[in-house]
Amino acid sequence: MNNLTILVVDDDPVIRRLLEQRLIKENYDVLLAEDGSIGNDILLHNHVDIVLTDLMMPGDIGGIEVLEYAKELERNIEVILITAHSSVDTAVEAMKKGASDYLEKPINFTELFLRLEKIDTMRGLLRSAEDLRQAMDVTESTAAETIQNLEVTAGTLQAQIDSIETLLNSEEKASEDKITEALEIIQNWK
Amino acid sequence: MLKITPAELKVIAQYIHDISGIYLDQSKSYLFETRLSSIAEELGCDSYQALYDKARRDPLKKIERQIIDAISTNETLFFRDNGPFELLKHKILPELIDLRTPKSPRLKTNIKIWSAASSTGQELYSVAMTIKDLLGTQLDNFNFKLLGTDISDGAVKQASYGKYNKFEIERGLPRQTLQKHFTLFGDSWKVKDELRAMVNFRKLNLMLPFAGLGKYDIILCRNVAIYFTLEDRKKLFNKLADSLTDDGYLIIGSTESLTGICPRFVPKRHLRAIFYQKKI
Repeated sequence: MNNLTILVVDDDPVIRRLLEQRLIKENYDVLLAEDGSIGNDILLHNHVDIVLTDLMMPGDIGGIEVLEYAKELERNIEVILITAHSSVDTAVEAMKKGASDYLEKPINFTELFLRLEKIDTMRGLLRSAEDLRQAMDVTESTAAETIQNLEVTAGTLQAQIDSIETLLNSEEKASEDKITEALEIIQNWK
Repeated sequence: MLKITPAELKVIAQYIHDISGIYLDQSKSYLFETRLSSIAEELGCDSYQALYDKARRDPLKKIERQIIDAISTNETLFFRDNGPFELLKHKILPELIDLRTPKSPRLKTNIKIWSAASSTGQELYSVAMTIKDLLGTQLDNFNFKLLGTDISDGAVKQASYGKYNKFEIERGLPRQTLQKHFTLFGDSWKVKDELRAMVNFRKLNLMLPFAGLGKYDIILCRNVAIYFTLEDRKKLFNKLADSLTDDGYLIIGSTESLTGICPRFVPKRHLRAIFYQKKI
């Protein structure tokens, strides 16, 4: 049960086909690009959840550039780099730029599927956290409305009581007038 | 996970209240366990009593700080609950600017704002962004002093650094605002220097006296008093009233109430939000 879309960017046709077959078997939707430029074009025109890109590719646009472009388009996108052992340092640099992970060649598929599973679990958790947050927001805003109304009502009542207190304490008026005026304040409030 | 005994629960709950004012419900033992077990394990304590003893004996109070960091809830986000920021933009800031602008055009307008439980800084930076967006280039004629305080060292440190990961950023910040006020920093975003320069953060325990803090024109104290007992809440808002200028504005959390807590404040409604002013 998997509906994540993975974009594979690799100049090696054998790796592309291999990845495509294995990923489709695991129920991922797969898009393929033979270089970084085509990869970026696919990113612009399609919804992609995960990018699996070779680090070193011929042409101006390598794995790092694909990573940067993907992140610029969609902050939530996950990028896994595929790298030769010799360029692990570059891959680590790429992690700092926001890559989720890197895999060394030759690709170990057990390892790849573990990483993908990890991403999927993480996305699920984020989704439920988001759902909870939304539920909390609704509860909070409903409660806020009730509390604010009560707060204003209590404030107004307090002000009425204060004015009645001042009135009743005043020594300038006759007792009967005080009572009449106090009752008026109460009537007006109701 | 290390289990807590009823006797330890009592001791630890009292200790946490003493050091932070935070009141934790003793019936929720999991709250203590999930937040403190890793500290206990890291320090090689085989019980919460041992952790307590160690914390009390620690002359540098490092363990106490760790416990406060673990216990305090840092749930916050940029522009959390839009109400207060609309209130600032359309009501409070324009009113204050009218009140505070000196007659001489050569003098700057002084306005002081305090976020009393600033957590990791999102609230105060949101205030700063609201001010910047409202005043634009006119900002130079103003002297804004924005202070954020929090009991957690970790939170103060992150707030001062002004760096937020993508999950923190995604919550509440529209893309346009993000690009205007932040720069991409690896996989995170960092507050731009000009925004950072508007604010200051430091550690403060709201349960202790606010010595030397001065008076503020706007105080935000949102969603922190809910963790205190009624008695402590009364003390807190009374002290906040002392720290607020006579015509200043207090903003509390949208589901909080001051009825029966501090008669010195009067609630006032503007649009869909409430603020408080001192009774004259």
